[in-house]
This record gives sequence, structure tokens and C-alpha cells, in this order.
Amino acid sequence: MKRKRRTISLLLAAVLALQCLMLSGCAVGRDADVHVFYYNYSDTYVTSVRAALDAHLESNGISYQNYDGNNNQTTQTEQVKTAITKGARVILVNLINTGSADAANTVVAAAKGAGIPVIFFNREVPDDVVKSYEKCAYVGTDAAEAGHLQGEMIGEYLMENFERADLNGDGKISYILFKGEEGNNEAIFRTRYAVEDANRILVEAGKPPLSFYDAANASGYLVDQSGAWSATAANQYMTTALASHNDANGNMIELVICNNDGMAEGAITALNTVGYNTGGEKRIPVFGVDATDAARNLIGGGKMAGTIKQDAQGMAQVLAALSENAVGGKGLLDGTDAYHKDEDVAKIRIPYEKYLG
Amino acid sequence: MKLFANYMQRARDFRALDRREKGRRLREIAINYSLYALLLLAVIVIGIRSPRFLSVPSLINILSLSAAGLPIALGIAGCIILTGTDLSAGRIVGLTACVAAALLQAFGYPNKMFPRLATLPVWAVLLLVMAIGGAVGLINGFCTARFHLHPFIVTLATQLIVYGVLLMFLMLGNNNGQAISGLDERFHRFINGSILSVGQTPIPNFVWYALGITVVMWFIWNKTAFGKNMFAVGSNQEAAKVSGVNVTATVILVFTLAGVLYGVTGFIEAARISSNNAATGANYELDAIAACVIGGVSFVGGIGKIRGVILGVVLLRLIFVGLTFLSIDANLQYIIKGLIILVACAIDMRKYLVRK
Repeated sequence: MKRKRRTISLLLAAVLALQCLMLSGCAVGRDADVHVFYYNYSDTYVTSVRAALDAHLESNGISYQNYDGNNNQTTQTEQVKTAITKGARVILVNLINTGSADAANTVVAAAKGAGIPVIFFNREVPDDVVKSYEKCAYVGTDAAEAGHLQGEMIGEYLMENFERADLNGDGKISYILFKGEEGNNEAIFRTRYAVEDANRILVEAGKPPLSFYDAANASGYLVDQSGAWSATAANQYMTTALASHNDANGNMIELVICNNDGMAEGAITALNTVGYNTGGEKRIPVFGVDATDAARNLIGGGKMAGTIKQDAQGMAQVLAALSENAVGGKGLLDGTDAYHKDEDVAKIRIPYEKYLG
Repeated sequence: MKLFANYMQRARDFRALDRREKGRRLREIAINYSLYALLLLAVIVIGIRSPRFLSVPSLINILSLSAAGLPIALGIAGCIILTGTDLSAGRIVGLTACVAAALLQAFGYPNKMFPRLATLPVWAVLLLVMAIGGAVGLINGFCTARFHLHPFIVTLATQLIVYGVLLMFLMLGNNNGQAISGLDERFHRFINGSILSVGQTPIPNFVWYALGITVVMWFIWNKTAFGKNMFAVGSNQEAAKVSGVNVTATVILVFTLAGVLYGVTGFIEAARISSNNAATGANYELDAIAACVIGGVSFVGGIGKIRGVILGVVLLRLIFVGLTFLSIDANLQYIIKGLIILVACAIDMRKYLVRK
């Protein structure tokens, strides 16, 4: 019994020592000026914004502290309130619940109470929220733009490569589409415009519109049921679809459209198992969004057709500039004339770009 | 042979009963096997509505999806037999998948996480991730056995710790939290390659690994002293202790073995999906637990069979594939999954109470 107690106390002491060591290693002791609230550390794109923003703030000598909301609005709101009581001079919020204005209003009210600026980013908040407080701004993208650009890119690609893409020569292109999550604006716009805009280009040139590979599926997409935009979901749908739609049956899927690059990667891995998209001539076009490093390499290797670049560096640069304004006591949007802004509300739009390698 | 004699005996017993008893017995059988009957019915209906569901490529797809989910379920089943559970399974899969992928990126891949890392042998990385999984499992088992904590609490804690470590790991090297891709060709071939095809359709190699693991686990559960101890501790810890079973060692070993299996799952996932980030493995434990309870591994402890786990895993995959083939709205999948878990567990509990 005595020995057991000693083991336990030794263990506890070791854990405490480890904690002290880890805490002293971080910059927690120093009170930060800029507090940044990310919606989820596991999101690849947002993580690249985080890495870029950390670098910008560090090189400008601004102290900052990062938080992970872990996709939970309650957690994030509590973090925001705690940070404000801790003496934050500006808060950057990558809001979680964007479906209604309530969460955003709570954050704005808290910032207003302390008189500090609040900058929302990446996940869009309604115009009214931004207008309700003169020290409030939003930095993001135009959610529909990625979908429009992806659709345009697909249409243009097919106009150039129609014969090659139409594997079974029936004059129509059959496609499969992977949606990242239900009820998310980005996903909804990308899913809709990628097909609509591609069809517009095809129909204008006298070609038939795209046809979904599974005629019985009225929705025209397959969604990641965990809402995680995951490669795993796309991979499992793709292997399942390829089980019935393949060369042997003469109905091979001829085009893959994905809401993000992670899903595109999952789909390509599935295609590899049936000998497609391994870098040779045998391939079908796969399109994604985000231009992650992995996707660029796939495009470079001829395994993927194209993606839409969401500019993490550009977003981090604007966020760093606004933070510097806020900490330096200048107007929040000073010196941002070069960026694309909405007309009557303080919203800065970072443009998307097509990426074809 | 023994099995056959067993059935003969049962048939004789049945004939010896009177009519009312016979009716009752038949009803029992109907209820106990209703899940299998439903499953068979579902397969037939889907097969008629969408004939390609039963084509060779489709069957192999179901086989490989099931194989991918099997090792983690076999690991978690042991924890459930001890009346425990393991919430850390999914995150361990995520961590081991990312470690395996990072160490086995192709040399010269432009965004290689550790650019100067030489090409490691595949087996060495497999052993390493098995060790990582096993180490977390060891901690789970140690805390459970030594501090008499419920595994739910222990694994709730380790799940968080592992996730934190995973997030830190993804920021290492020049990765910056990106998804880890660009895997070495040898690793790809080892997992996704194929040594046997049915018709035109290759069976991916990881199916054989899952099969091998299943055989080994069957042997451990049924033919070793450790396996018998596991069931003894699960059904009555005090009794097991009195009859000389080392409860602490057994619990620690069950959790460690589970951790090793999560490591293998992570290793397979890394190449099977080929895009690994912090979300990899999230919530895998819930599907694995669902598969176990559907297959009759009971939370009352000490009850469970390898073939039950296999059945549960296959059933869950069948629902996924079947509904995709039927083009049924994805929302229904949740409802159907939930109903099946409820029904399956209710039937199991009934069997258990009857036996008691």
C-alpha cells in the first residue's frame, strides 16, 4: 500500500513538473495585445492562415495569443470573454456559428463593452453586425466566387478536352460531386455554381450539360455526413461509385468535382485503385478548391486537373495590417485602399484565383 | 465435426419438446436471429433494385471497406468485454496515421515534412506506430487498473492529450498544419497494391492484413490463457481475482493490445486515404463501438465473439454502401444506424437475461 501511494505521488509530481515546463516554454506569461480565435485547429486552410499570421505578427513585434474554438461556439464565446477581461487590445474572430447573427452579436457586444476593435475573418458575418459597431470589420472571401471560378474552370477545361473526357463517347460528360457539409454557405455555393457555370459554358457552345453519374440521386451530390469535408468520405463514396460505374460496364465516371482539395485527394486515391490518375495518360479530370500544397503537387504530376486558390498569405497580411492599426490606435481600415472592399460595409474581400499548375 | 454433433443434439432436444414449448422456442429463435434476417432481406431488396450491388467490384468494395474498419473494432471489443470502452481510439488512429504518413513521404516530394529524412523501411514505420498506439494503450490500461478509474474517464482524458500531441505534430518540420500527402510508392503498394484479383477487380492488400489480424485475435481470445482471463475479468472481476487471475496485468494488456491495433489501423488509413490531417480518425471509435454492440459484444462484460465483431463491421458498411446504391438521402443513414444499434442491443440483452 505504501509503495503504491509513493508511485502515485511520484507520478503526480512528474505530471506537474511537465506542466510547469510546458507552460514556461510558451509565451503565456506575457499579456498579449492581439487575441486570435480560430474556429478549428484541425482545418487545413485556417491552419495555413494561422501559420502565416503568426509569422507576420512576430516580424512586426506584436504580441499575440491564439485560441482553438474546436468547432464549438460556446467554447469560443467563453474564450473571447476571458480574453477581453485579460486586457486584449484587439480581437480577431474566426466565428463558428455563422448561420444566425446571434453569436456574432454576442462577440460584438463584448468588444463594445471594452471599447476594443473586433475583426471577424474567414467565416462571414452579416452586414448588419459589422455596421452595428464602428470598430468592427470583416476580412474574408466572396463565398460564391470559388464556386463560380471552379465552374468556369471546369467549363473551359471541357471545351478544350471534350473528346478526351468523354470516355464512352456518348456525347455527354457524367460527373460525381462531393459536398463538404450540409448547411454551410461555402459548400452550398460551390456545389451549385460549379455545375451551373460549367453547364452555361457547355450549353452556349452547343454541348449537352453535365449529367450526374447516378440518375436516381436527385440532389446531384454526395455529402460528407460528418460535415468534416474529409478525404475519407470522398474516398469511400468514390470506391463505392466505382464499383458500379467503371470501364467494364462502359459507364465510367468522367469528371470529379470536389468542394475542397482534401476530398479531391481522397477521390484520386480511390481512382488510383482502378488504374486511373496515376500520372499516366489514363485519367479523368478532378477539380478541387483551396490549392493546398498536396493539390498543387497532384496537379504538377498530372493526377489532378485544377483547383481554386484561396489566398492564406493574402488574408494573413490584411489581418496583420488591421491588427497593427488597432494596436497603434489608428483607424481600423487605414491603408487598405488597395484591397477589394464592399461598398457600404467594412468588409475586405481577398480574391480567389484559378490554379492549373 | 463437433459443431455438427452439437446441431444434431439441439435438433433432438427440439423434437423432444411438446407443441407449446416448440412454439415458444421457435419464437425465441425468430427474435434472436431477426437481425440476420433483416440483413439478408436488405441485401436482397437492394440487389433487386440495383443489381450492380451484388456485382464483383461492389462486393470487393464492401469487403475492403469492412477490412479497413475491422482492426480498430477488434481492439475496442476487448475493452468492452472488460465492461469498459475506449474513447481515445479515433485520435490514436489519427496520430499514428499522421506519423506513418510523415515518415513515409516520398523522398524529394516538394512539401515533405522532414525533407532530409531518408527513405525508411515500411516495416520499421509499422512497428513504430504500433509501439506508439501500444504506449497510449498502456497508459489507458495502467490508469484504469492501477487507479481504479472507469476507462470512460481515462480514455476521455487521453483522447484529449493525443489530439493535442497530434496538432503539435502537424506543425512540425515545414508542414505548417497542412495535410500530409505525397506518400512513398512502396508504402502505397504495401497497402493499396494487390496480389490477387477477382476477374478485373483487384483485392487491396490491406484486406489480407485485416484477415491476418482477425485470425490472430481469434487465437488470442479463444486459445490463450490471457484471452480466458480477459473474459473472466469482464464477467466478474472479484471472482477472477479470487481464482488467481492477475486482474491488473490482464486489464493493462487488453488496452495495450487495443492500442497496437489502433496503430495498425492508423498505418492502413494513412495510405488508404493518402491525405492525413488532424481530422483523420475523428469519431472512428463511435463506429467501432457501434459495430461491436451490433455484433453482440455486450457492455455487461465478459460476452463477445470475434465473428460478432466481424458481423457488426460488415453490417455498418452494408448500410453505407446499400443506401448509396439506392440513392437514398444521407440523413436517413443516421436514423437507420441508430435503430439498428437499439434493436441489436435490445435483442442481446434479452438473450443475456434469458440465459441468466
